[in-house]
Amino acid sequence: MSKLLITVLISTFFSCTKSNKATVKADGTIEKVLNIVVSANVKGFDPNQASDRYSGNEAARIYEGLLQFHYLKRPYELIPNLAESMPEVSSDGLSYTFKIKKGVLFHDDACFPNGKGRELTASDFDYSIRRMADKKEQSKGWWLIDGKIKGLNEWRETTGGSEASNYAAPVAGIKVLDKYTIKFTLSKPFPQFLYSLAMPFTYAVPKEAVQKYGKEFINHPVGTGPFITGKYTQGNKIVYTKNPNYRDEFYPTEGSPGDKEKGLLKDAGKKIPLVDKIIVKIMTEEQTRWLNFKKGKLDSMSIPTEEFANVMIPGKGLSDDFKSKGIVERKVVGLDVTYNAFNHENELFKTNKKLRQAMSAAFDRENFNKKFFQGISQPAQSVVPPNIAGHINGFKGPYQNLNIELAKKLLAEAGFPEGKGLKEITLHYTYSTKSRQMAEVFQQNMSKIGIKIKPVGVTWPELVKLVNTKQTMMYSMAWGADYPDAENFLQLLYSKNGAPGANGANYNNQEFDSMFEKAALMEDSPERTALYEKMYKFAAEEVPWIIGFHRVTYGLIHGWVENSKSIEFDHGMVKYKNVDMAKKAELLKKL
Amino acid sequence: MQILQYSLRRLLYLIPVILGVSFVVFFLFNVVAGDPTPLLLGKNATPSQIAELRSQLGLDRPFFMQYLDIVKSAFTFDFGRSWSTQQKISEIISQRAIPSLTLTLPAFILASILGILISLVVSFYRGKTLDVSMRVLCIALMSISSLVYIIVGQKILAADLGLFEISGYETGFPDFVPYIILPVIIWIVLSLGPDIRFFRTVILDEVYQDYVRTARAKGLSEKVIFLKHVLRNAMVPMITYFVIQLPFLIMGSLLLENYFDIPGLGSEVVRAANSNDFPVLKAFAILFSVAYIVFNLITDILYAVVDPRIKLQ
Repeated sequence: MSKLLITVLISTFFSCTKSNKATVKADGTIEKVLNIVVSANVKGFDPNQASDRYSGNEAARIYEGLLQFHYLKRPYELIPNLAESMPEVSSDGLSYTFKIKKGVLFHDDACFPNGKGRELTASDFDYSIRRMADKKEQSKGWWLIDGKIKGLNEWRETTGGSEASNYAAPVAGIKVLDKYTIKFTLSKPFPQFLYSLAMPFTYAVPKEAVQKYGKEFINHPVGTGPFITGKYTQGNKIVYTKNPNYRDEFYPTEGSPGDKEKGLLKDAGKKIPLVDKIIVKIMTEEQTRWLNFKKGKLDSMSIPTEEFANVMIPGKGLSDDFKSKGIVERKVVGLDVTYNAFNHENELFKTNKKLRQAMSAAFDRENFNKKFFQGISQPAQSVVPPNIAGHINGFKGPYQNLNIELAKKLLAEAGFPEGKGLKEITLHYTYSTKSRQMAEVFQQNMSKIGIKIKPVGVTWPELVKLVNTKQTMMYSMAWGADYPDAENFLQLLYSKNGAPGANGANYNNQEFDSMFEKAALMEDSPERTALYEKMYKFAAEEVPWIIGFHRVTYGLIHGWVENSKSIEFDHGMVKYKNVDMAKKAELLKKL
Repeated sequence: MQILQYSLRRLLYLIPVILGVSFVVFFLFNVVAGDPTPLLLGKNATPSQIAELRSQLGLDRPFFMQYLDIVKSAFTFDFGRSWSTQQKISEIISQRAIPSLTLTLPAFILASILGILISLVVSFYRGKTLDVSMRVLCIALMSISSLVYIIVGQKILAADLGLFEISGYETGFPDFVPYIILPVIIWIVLSLGPDIRFFRTVILDEVYQDYVRTARAKGLSEKVIFLKHVLRNAMVPMITYFVIQLPFLIMGSLLLENYFDIPGLGSEVVRAANSNDFPVLKAFAILFSVAYIVFNLITDILYAVVDPRIKLQ
């Protein structure tokens, strides 16, 4: 019986084993398919809920905003997306008037009359921005516009509860001037406002779909974007097809120096999107992703830590084995910073700067980098990562590099010679094998100057709770940029953002606060950059945290993928990717 | 009639058990786990938003009211919606149970048949080289972590030799078949060690009974003795063993589903745990407890069916 069953199963298996075979379209050309992997579950498509990168990326294949980042230009540059052009900004920096593109259609969906997608209008942005403020929606992007748009906070107070939100009631800061024009008025200057309009939270959603699907709107994506997909059910993949009604948008004709040589302008001026289908595969296990990548079933992925030494040969780069298969590497410099924060509500750290400085100088970042980041990450000199105005290239923080003698001296001056009289310091971290090892290495570093650290691993929810309730002494954390502006990092030290806000360390310094408040009102300018740089140096001197690293990773891409450029803010950028299916057929034979 | 009365009485026992399970679930998720709202709202959550969401989710109500909600959901099986995906939990369960069962059911049936057949053979040759070797092999199989089978199987059999799909799943027969063969084989290998040891023990318990000696004295063949008499009598503990495993089959396999990207209930539990999706976790905890009790009851009833000496009281 068992033999029979096994025979049946195996024969069925051999009759339907899947392969990487290409599909031929009705016009005789080969369907271009992009195989993308994500390493975490996708919550859904509602832009309002797109607080994690994975959900944000999926939402951005469907929905679009007024602005977007230029795919190729660096430093990052905002360009129009659904906006016809960049906005008119009033001289006081408070009003932003946008003209939106005409003839943009929402995807066909049952929420519209006859199932045909209607034209996008300025009112859709009025609705979508208000929806971010609607208490009932609990948008995860509310922080972005909280207190920024004139009258919106007051309107927010009228929403929620059991009564329907009154979307017809006026909001002083949002005016639809005509079908294609919308004006935003801010309550105070907020130069980062335009970045907000390039983030998925502010993308345009049709009111009809939100009303028809209610709570299930998150699973019924209806946008204006380059790709469409059906009702979403949590599973192991999401399949998108090219939006047949997508407006005329084209691949950029200019980029950064060197882009042309790298072939990134080969498709310049071509209508996008360039692929017919995207298959997003959700694989939470690294081994599964790696094996699928090596077999060509995924187009790209980051190099697993365990495989790094086999893939990237020190001093040589990508190994010959991978090169021979047409695989190329891509360096990804993350806009982030890792740190071990002090809780400044704790008197020990609040009043004793020299103790903080001593601990920072005793932290061996070089060794830590080699152990945990393959030596490729960048030891941070202060809080702002590279490639953002406010970061100072070549700056060396006075306590950011290993100096045991200095650390011992500072510790003695802090009142704890050789650590005597200093109680054990608890370091909370999110438990995983790697985090535990990191905490233990930090513990060993501190023991060299006589400081006792007690690492305590907790779950992520527990850590958040401890930080929010100010119950930690120290804790390990990292921050990734929401937008490419130093303000997004410096606000982590602003006292009014104390726990449960972003300043979980509860750092409180009047001098820093006044600089931050001044910079927060300034438009991008050399003066603001100078102020950011002053705050950068100030933080390096003050050591509000033991600042760790700006992380660098390497990704691998199969040779058949074209137009692949590393971009930190990659929402919606898949529309520029291309696949050479003939090259893929050739390269697959080598895998 | 006696079975019906017994079943009804046992089902009534479910009420205090569900109340107890509800309390444990409430204590774990509503008291010990702490406030999930900062995580649900993301890294930039504002204090007022946290307070509003707590109110919307009913987390600011008295503990007793929150406990009553759980009790109500346990009796009505209406667990509401997932906090993160907003899908109805009943829909999630019905969608994900099928992929789980397409993996676990064939694996369980094949492993059980194989386990019984091998146990009969080794019991027949008890004390001989084959028996000893099989015992050693069983211990070896059990000593190796399930992760090793998964990682090695996926790498060597699927990726290097290309015999199976590395991962994935397609809905509908026979599309899903290529994707479940390797996980099924790994499940069988994982199950064989404990299965054979258990089945061998219960079969050997029977082999030394008087009725076997009598059967031999009557001149019955060993084949008839083993298959007709010994196996029948060994069925009582085997039934317990099988039926108790059924709730676990429905719940899928956390590791296999995760590594092989099978969108079943096991991988849903992992997703819910990773995203603090308490309603989903609560629903699974309650449903699993109820299923466990119901299948225990079925075991007891089957005892009476298989063994006429057992009376249900």
